[in-house]
Amino acid sequence: MKNFSLLPQGDKIIFLAWVLLCLTSLAMLWSVTEPIQGPYEKLDPGVSKGVFWRQVVWMGVSYLGLLVAASVRMRYLENIVWPAFLFSLGLLLLTLLFGPKIAGSQRWLALGPFRMQPSELAKVTYILMMGHLLGGTVDGGRKLMVTIGSLALTLLPMMLVLREPDLGTSLVFLAVWVGLVFWYGVPGLLLLGAGSAAISAVFSFYSETVASSPWPWAIYLLLLLGVLYLSRLSILVSVVLLAANILTGIGIPFFWDRLKGYQQERILTFFDPTRDAFGAGYQAIQSKVAIGTGGLFGTHYLQGTQKGLAFLPERHTDFIFSVVGEELGFFGSLFLLALFFIMLWQGVHHAAAVRRPFARFVAIGVVTYFLFHVVTNVSITTGLLPVTGLPLPLVSYGGSNLLTSSILVGLLLNVSSRTFHD
Amino acid sequence: MEQQHYLRQRIYLFVLVVLFLILVGNLFYMMVLKHGFYEEQALENRQVRFRVTAPRGRITDRHGSIVADNLYIADITLPGSALRDSVPGEALERLLGWFQLPRQQTIERLQVQKQRGRRRLVLVPNASMARISAVQERSRQLPGVRVESRPRRRYLYGALLAHIVGYVGEVGQADLDTTEGHTDYRLGDQIGKQGAEAALERHLRGTDGVKLEEVDASNRVVGQRPLWLTEIVPGQDAALTISLPLQKMMDEAIGQEIGCGVAMDVRTGDVLAACSKPTFDSNLMTVSISPQQWNLLINDPAKPFFNRIVQATYPPGSIYKSVTSLAVLNLGLVGMDSVLEPCLGGLEFGDRTFHCWKRTGHGTLNHTDAMVNSCDTYYYQLGLSMDIDQLAEAARAFGLGRPCSDIFPSEAAGNIPDSPWYDRRFGPRGWTRGVLLNNAIGQGEILVTPLQMALLTARIATSGETPNPRFVKDPAFDLVQPEPLPFAERHLQWCRDALLQTVERGTGRAAKQDSFTVAGKTGTAQNPHGEDHAWFVCFAPAENPEVAVAVILENAGSGSTQAAPIAGRWLEGWFGSEERRLIIPDPEKSRALPGREAS
Repeated sequence: MKNFSLLPQGDKIIFLAWVLLCLTSLAMLWSVTEPIQGPYEKLDPGVSKGVFWRQVVWMGVSYLGLLVAASVRMRYLENIVWPAFLFSLGLLLLTLLFGPKIAGSQRWLALGPFRMQPSELAKVTYILMMGHLLGGTVDGGRKLMVTIGSLALTLLPMMLVLREPDLGTSLVFLAVWVGLVFWYGVPGLLLLGAGSAAISAVFSFYSETVASSPWPWAIYLLLLLGVLYLSRLSILVSVVLLAANILTGIGIPFFWDRLKGYQQERILTFFDPTRDAFGAGYQAIQSKVAIGTGGLFGTHYLQGTQKGLAFLPERHTDFIFSVVGEELGFFGSLFLLALFFIMLWQGVHHAAAVRRPFARFVAIGVVTYFLFHVVTNVSITTGLLPVTGLPLPLVSYGGSNLLTSSILVGLLLNVSSRTFHD
Repeated sequence: MEQQHYLRQRIYLFVLVVLFLILVGNLFYMMVLKHGFYEEQALENRQVRFRVTAPRGRITDRHGSIVADNLYIADITLPGSALRDSVPGEALERLLGWFQLPRQQTIERLQVQKQRGRRRLVLVPNASMARISAVQERSRQLPGVRVESRPRRRYLYGALLAHIVGYVGEVGQADLDTTEGHTDYRLGDQIGKQGAEAALERHLRGTDGVKLEEVDASNRVVGQRPLWLTEIVPGQDAALTISLPLQKMMDEAIGQEIGCGVAMDVRTGDVLAACSKPTFDSNLMTVSISPQQWNLLINDPAKPFFNRIVQATYPPGSIYKSVTSLAVLNLGLVGMDSVLEPCLGGLEFGDRTFHCWKRTGHGTLNHTDAMVNSCDTYYYQLGLSMDIDQLAEAARAFGLGRPCSDIFPSEAAGNIPDSPWYDRRFGPRGWTRGVLLNNAIGQGEILVTPLQMALLTARIATSGETPNPRFVKDPAFDLVQPEPLPFAERHLQWCRDALLQTVERGTGRAAKQDSFTVAGKTGTAQNPHGEDHAWFVCFAPAENPEVAVAVILENAGSGSTQAAPIAGRWLEGWFGSEERRLIIPDPEKSRALPGREAS
């Protein structure tokens, strides 16, 4: 640790974005915990003011986390990636064993009055782990081995989190891995295989749930066979590609059956929200209505009816973006997205510029983490993706995620401060 | 290596830009292009339409004393979704516990309401303040539960005016299916079912208001200012012709007897008092009456629901003798002083003896004495002097044989038989002129209502000037002006004198009063099912008629002993009352009825 000061070193633009996002979060949480303003009786906002004050306290803690992450030496961090990663895997295991069951899932570890989500800590250690793994200098021949090894290390925390169950968070690991591996450099054939396998998955899902007949998927396979024949790829590659497609196609119904009833319902409802307008589709519909109501300038601060009359569920956590949309309008939402965008834009530049491979992959990991969270969360609130519990980092209420996200921003600042040194 | 990094950075930034552009583009689409659509959705979310029942117009007596008004009571209601396949929802479950309602019974009751198609289920009708505040304080835990105020009809004289005012009830599916023009009615609305309430439905019922209220997600009204889409138009008040004090006098005069008494103003046709006994409390009909109470009323052999004023038909008995006399006088067949064959207690006709009520006989009588003493033998002879159609025509001239009131659609027409009627009934050769003997004394197939008898008496008193009887003063129905009577004024005057003498010295003596003159006639309606019914009709004062009264007591035997004193008591009250001064401000002046100068 060098020159520890109250202001972090590094890219001032990223730090400013962090500050503005935190202030936006506080403003929105204040709004959510205030009675609606307008021609209404004084209403209980339904979310207690304590939420706002707890977030203020967490913000202080998170700032400390950001400062530490921004100033700690990268070399020192790289030295502890293995124990840190194993430690967080251990915590995930403990959570599954001893965590209290809250609303049907085990996501927290309680230590006296203090409660934390080990899956959040795991995101940090996972990114550091990946930085170490992919940042190691290897020759071209062993690249595939490293890629496969990194996938294995991704599946470990992913499966543990999926067991909690927390589908949204488990997908974060996969998404970050995809982002990292892309930068690491994936062979073109692997990309082709993964792409066609994904399409196969979609067709298989369609056959399983909507069509209730194997024909759509079977027709896709026949088409693929034709394309493979015409493209004159080697027999071996063709067989591997076809096998990948068949495996994912068969795996989807199997995976679908393994999903919890509410998860299946959410995915089906995503394709047709009116299917259950008062159940799983309710959140999606109300969120879209809230955002659409915002218009260019919003209904004005504290005056959103979707928020204030409690039509919008989870308005202080996963659906806080809908409150931004409703009360601050298109320009408010644009401003919020711009803050994220600038932060990530800068992040990519720093990742490309930094010399130390470990720092580069950590930066890419952080950028991918934010990109996935923001895009997925905003897509869920605007109805582009099915509802999955995933917070908007730095803005949604929740201490663990705020701390994690701030530490990751700190790491990005750390990388940026080293861009031209080290 | 640097080159490679540069390319990846480009691709990475490209993906970043594309993803954010998708997000922003979608936001622009939703928030700007489809803004109106979503704004409407948000409005639909929080605005709920409420219908507010317009208060029903009040009903007063002729002087403005209220006899029917509205009370506001509060119900605790649930949405239909509170019960799914007999399984109570969370809110209902809570209320069942808090109010300690009998579980199975309550669920069944709500199930019945749901099956009847009611959109909101009434859990607690007419709820107490304690329960209302319990619900209001904890509304957050009770999504969809509301306290709804609803006007309930109150009858201040439920039993006294039950048959005239009638009552309201809930609109049922049958009402919606059968009645045209009820498009603005919904299940559960109030609608007049009987009497003035039914006849004046359009007038009394206002227009319900429709307002938009803002609600929160738990369906609780939170908006401060409702938006009225349709303003409430309260129903208009209506006034009866009945006078409360006079009605009470009639009620007391009849007492516990089974029967009916009607008194009307002979100049205007206003019905001043009309009682049908026994009666019922019309307030019972506006609340959910218990099955036990209902059975008790519906199975009562005295038929309390039966409106004897206009629905009951009886043979008029000797009251009809006025009609017979006027018919023969008009035909010139018999004079006003004519003496016919003496009464020896009856008359032989064909192979049958028709008895006089006085088996010992009246001896020799002139026309007037025959009326005063109600000699049947004399009237048998009068009857045989005419054709059945001539007698029927005389009766119809007074308005008999058809409904005459303003507000009772279920009023009975009665029956004035003529030759076509007998042909239909018994075949063209199935009857003889013998029916005339019965008809002449008001027995046999003739049927009249008490109201028709009051009208007959009033028209004799006014030489036919009395309009059809009215029960409602405001809104005024078109007065049905009577056709001029086909009888000579001197014959009518003779008839009035004969009726005066009937009370002075004849069969109507029980109605005689010291302070004023009464002209009247007793009657006995033969009843094949039991004791005869006792009639008495009269008008007073005899020389300057103001009111006409008709009384019938079922199974009371002879009219002279039972019915006449009741009419007498009412008339005594009338002449002593303040009401008379109000209704007939200058009794002396009212003498100058058109057509009366001749007498």
